[in-house]
Amino acid sequence: MKSDSSVDNRLLSAAGRQLIVFTVIALLAVAALMFALNWLAGLTSSTAGGSRTAVDFETNTITTYLRDEPPQMNSMIATDAVSGMILNHVMEGLLRYDQLGNLEGGVAERWEQNGSEITFWLREDSRWSDGQPVTAHDFVFAWRNAVSPAIGSQYAFILYPILNAEKINNSELPIDTLGVRALDDRTLLVTLETPIAYFDRMVAFVTFLPAREDFYTATNGRYGADADEMLYNGPYIMTSWVHGSSMRLERNPYYWDDNRGRIEVINFAHMTSDPNTLLNLFKDNQIVMADLGATMLEEAMLQGWQIQSFQEGTVFFIEFNHRDERLTRNLNLRKAFYLAQDSGELVNRVIKLPGYLPGESLFPGWLRGVEDSLRDEYPAPFYNRNITLAREHLRMALDELGLDQLPQMTLLTGDAPTARMQAEYYQEVFKRNLGIDVIIDAQIFRQRLEKMTSGEFDMVMAGWGPDYDDPLTFADLFSSWNLNNRGRYASDALDAQVRIAQSSLDTVERMNAFGEIQRLLYEDVVIIPNYERGYVYVTDPRLRGLIRRVIGAEIDFTYAWIEE
Amino acid sequence: MTDQTLTSNQTVAGALPVRTLRPADFEALPPSAPTTGIVRPSRSYWQDAWARLKANRRAIVSLYIIIFLMLFTFVGPLVWRVDPALQDIDQISQGPLASRAAVLVEPFERWDGVSIDEGFGEGDGLRLAAQPTTQQVRLFWNAVASASSYSIYRNHYEPQTELILGLPIASITRDGINWYEDRLDLRARTYYYSVVALDDLGQRIGSPQTVDADVLRVITRDEVASRGLVDDPDALQIGDAVKLSLHPLGTDYLGRDMLARLMAGARVSLFIGLLAPLMFVAIGVLYGATAGFIGGKVDQAMMRFADFVVALPFLLFMILFQVVFGIGPGESGIVPMLIALVILSWPATSRLVRGQILQIREEAYVSAARLLGGSHQYLIWRHMIPNTLGVILVTLTFAVPAAIFTEAFLSFIGMGVAPPTASWGSMCNEGLKTMLTHPHELIFPALMISMTVLAFNLLGDGLRDALDAKMRNSV
Repeated sequence: MKSDSSVDNRLLSAAGRQLIVFTVIALLAVAALMFALNWLAGLTSSTAGGSRTAVDFETNTITTYLRDEPPQMNSMIATDAVSGMILNHVMEGLLRYDQLGNLEGGVAERWEQNGSEITFWLREDSRWSDGQPVTAHDFVFAWRNAVSPAIGSQYAFILYPILNAEKINNSELPIDTLGVRALDDRTLLVTLETPIAYFDRMVAFVTFLPAREDFYTATNGRYGADADEMLYNGPYIMTSWVHGSSMRLERNPYYWDDNRGRIEVINFAHMTSDPNTLLNLFKDNQIVMADLGATMLEEAMLQGWQIQSFQEGTVFFIEFNHRDERLTRNLNLRKAFYLAQDSGELVNRVIKLPGYLPGESLFPGWLRGVEDSLRDEYPAPFYNRNITLAREHLRMALDELGLDQLPQMTLLTGDAPTARMQAEYYQEVFKRNLGIDVIIDAQIFRQRLEKMTSGEFDMVMAGWGPDYDDPLTFADLFSSWNLNNRGRYASDALDAQVRIAQSSLDTVERMNAFGEIQRLLYEDVVIIPNYERGYVYVTDPRLRGLIRRVIGAEIDFTYAWIEE
Repeated sequence: MTDQTLTSNQTVAGALPVRTLRPADFEALPPSAPTTGIVRPSRSYWQDAWARLKANRRAIVSLYIIIFLMLFTFVGPLVWRVDPALQDIDQISQGPLASRAAVLVEPFERWDGVSIDEGFGEGDGLRLAAQPTTQQVRLFWNAVASASSYSIYRNHYEPQTELILGLPIASITRDGINWYEDRLDLRARTYYYSVVALDDLGQRIGSPQTVDADVLRVITRDEVASRGLVDDPDALQIGDAVKLSLHPLGTDYLGRDMLARLMAGARVSLFIGLLAPLMFVAIGVLYGATAGFIGGKVDQAMMRFADFVVALPFLLFMILFQVVFGIGPGESGIVPMLIALVILSWPATSRLVRGQILQIREEAYVSAARLLGGSHQYLIWRHMIPNTLGVILVTLTFAVPAAIFTEAFLSFIGMGVAPPTASWGSMCNEGLKTMLTHPHELIFPALMISMTVLAFNLLGDGLRDALDAKMRNSV
């Protein structure tokens, strides 16, 4: 017996020693591997990309990143934010926004609206990057192209206020009947379908940018596909575009406005949207700015960085499916969903990012009304969370629908981590407060859009960003004829108000219409407003004058400079 | 008897005269006297293996871990009765053993910017208008005459310079408003608030006004009632201390209890981890044994088919199965995962068993049994199965951690369970996002996966040694 137990003990200690040795070896090996990989990574990154620091005073260069590779740079068919951002740096339209977000002349020196006719007088010194002047014909060419059915631009609808644009886009009229004419090289006359009050604000949008016919034809359909397949008239020109990896902008020597383009070179050396990568790049002084996620705020405060936030202008909401066969057509059911949740809790507890605002309305807070903010003039009515009332509405809904219990409801959402997190939060909120089983359908963007269009959802977590600086960009979203009205909500009262807002030239009347639309959306519970999105970001303290915008380019370096 | 055998042998040889057998020769012998000198009692194969396994400390510890894991999975939820989907919004991303003390307060109501609680609002500059709580921090400050807007900042660290003030939590652009109510993700800690006045052009006017706030954790009566924190919520008075729900391992990014989620996740992991190996080992044994036993052309054909299955890419098939099974949105991908695992993993076992069977088939004792007229059934049950059982058992114990790992991997890349169901892999995936700030959300599920896989591997190792007949009596 004695010998047995000593053998046991010996074995035990031997096994223990072995385990410890293995653990130590494993840990050492992992550490060694990390160092080796780090060294290897250093080797490769030093060969790739030119500039290694965020700010280079000698060459007046800044280095930053692009969230994504832009699909292409043809302004007539561009739809995404990244292309829009770059185009704002390399091109200039008739009108543009200044540092404070006010509309000012770009290529156009002055403009005048007279009923349904608007005349733009172009400035003399606006030049293309090959030295030739920008003429009114370049705008006529670009706009005709943008509405031509052959190109099939998704943003053709934004030109619909122009005479015959919609008919041309539907192949009902020839392309040269478009209501835009070059009276001479420097005078452009635009004829509208009906007089509208907000056309000048639309003109600052990307789809209205010019393009020169001879160059466009010479590219043989590859216009905007590469750095040398484009002609520029903005403060910068694109000198290189390594697809999927980097892009380089340099100052345009022919540009007329000395206030813009003070930085010589903007080097987009990285194309990534991974917040952790961006944070590390910023930490290593490789990029001048980075957007932060909720988990990085602590680190940013610890490092003592200058943190900034801004409201990006997009509104997010849960949109119900109003199609006939869907249960969510029932008003009481929609009300029950609305009353069971609290957008403040979502923003303050789940999203946890400053800059986000709890959603109360389809109209975001930055929209201007008659004098002041639209939302101050027309406060948004909204339901406070009331679970007892929510359950009552659910009971009424079940009575009306003749059901004992609600079947599973589908909540369509995106595949981004934050979207899934929010969907999971709502899933539990509806389960806990209403006893409704919600299944989450997380899809990639394109798939989600397809399902939204075909109506394969009960509720969808959707968002809407502004195209131009007028409340109408939000207000007509739920008009019965709008294709982006994916829930197919249809109401004559709302349609009538949208028509007033579209056609009236009286600001007060239009704003009243928006207030009315806001009330209708609330009464009919067309959507559950979730939040207005914000961004928290850090910038290099040496970079000054960076502008982040709601309308147009989200990030604008054209007014920026660097300072020691 | 020896003599007789000898004799008959010799008879066959035909060298010696035949002795006539009498009936007496066929009578049973009297029981022999108890023999002495047997050193130790005879042990069966299994007793022997068990003894050797017991001597292997690593394997035994692993066995205990596995038993603990089973208890954790199946008995745990009966003891720790917390819904893994319940979101404790007041305790989001809480670390283990965090403080739970809270004070009962009135439900939240928006501040009008005017009312100031007693004992607050004294002094100058930025100040508090009420006790700062996790519900709200009410701030107001001296209006600056030429200001067109104010920016409010919040920091976790005391601001060292006037430029670095921390998080910009709000900017106030409306005229005549010089107060703000902060509700953003308030924790029971000290915050340093600053407010900066800005002119029309966005330039700063003067120095920032600052104040620090020690935030008190609070809860409302409704929340106490809905979480069932005390037996009689109505008896509580405003200002009473309440203990928030206990989360021994902390909570995740939506305030869900980590311990309950680990238990729920263990169920998924073990379901796949045990059922899939059982099924594919069974198929593999049947297939391999058939091929090995029949042999010849059939064997060749069967093994080439097995080779073909080995060559199929697992991940691709996993995706195809999800499509074929029409796994709709929000539905769990566990069943296709199980089927894919079974369909694609059996060839390894079948090869092993076939090799074993081929080897045993040629053994002398099997030939002897066959010559003596043993049926196929007898051969299989008496010789083949017992002699391959060790191999099968070892394969099984090694297949379990592999299957658990596969499940974790697939859930990690988002092909496994659908929310709100948890699995260790999906928990790791979620924990990864908050790794730097709340490491416990990643560490616990990762630890569970590592521990389980290691325990099964070490046990399999021990079993292989113990069941190896060639090492018999080595301990």
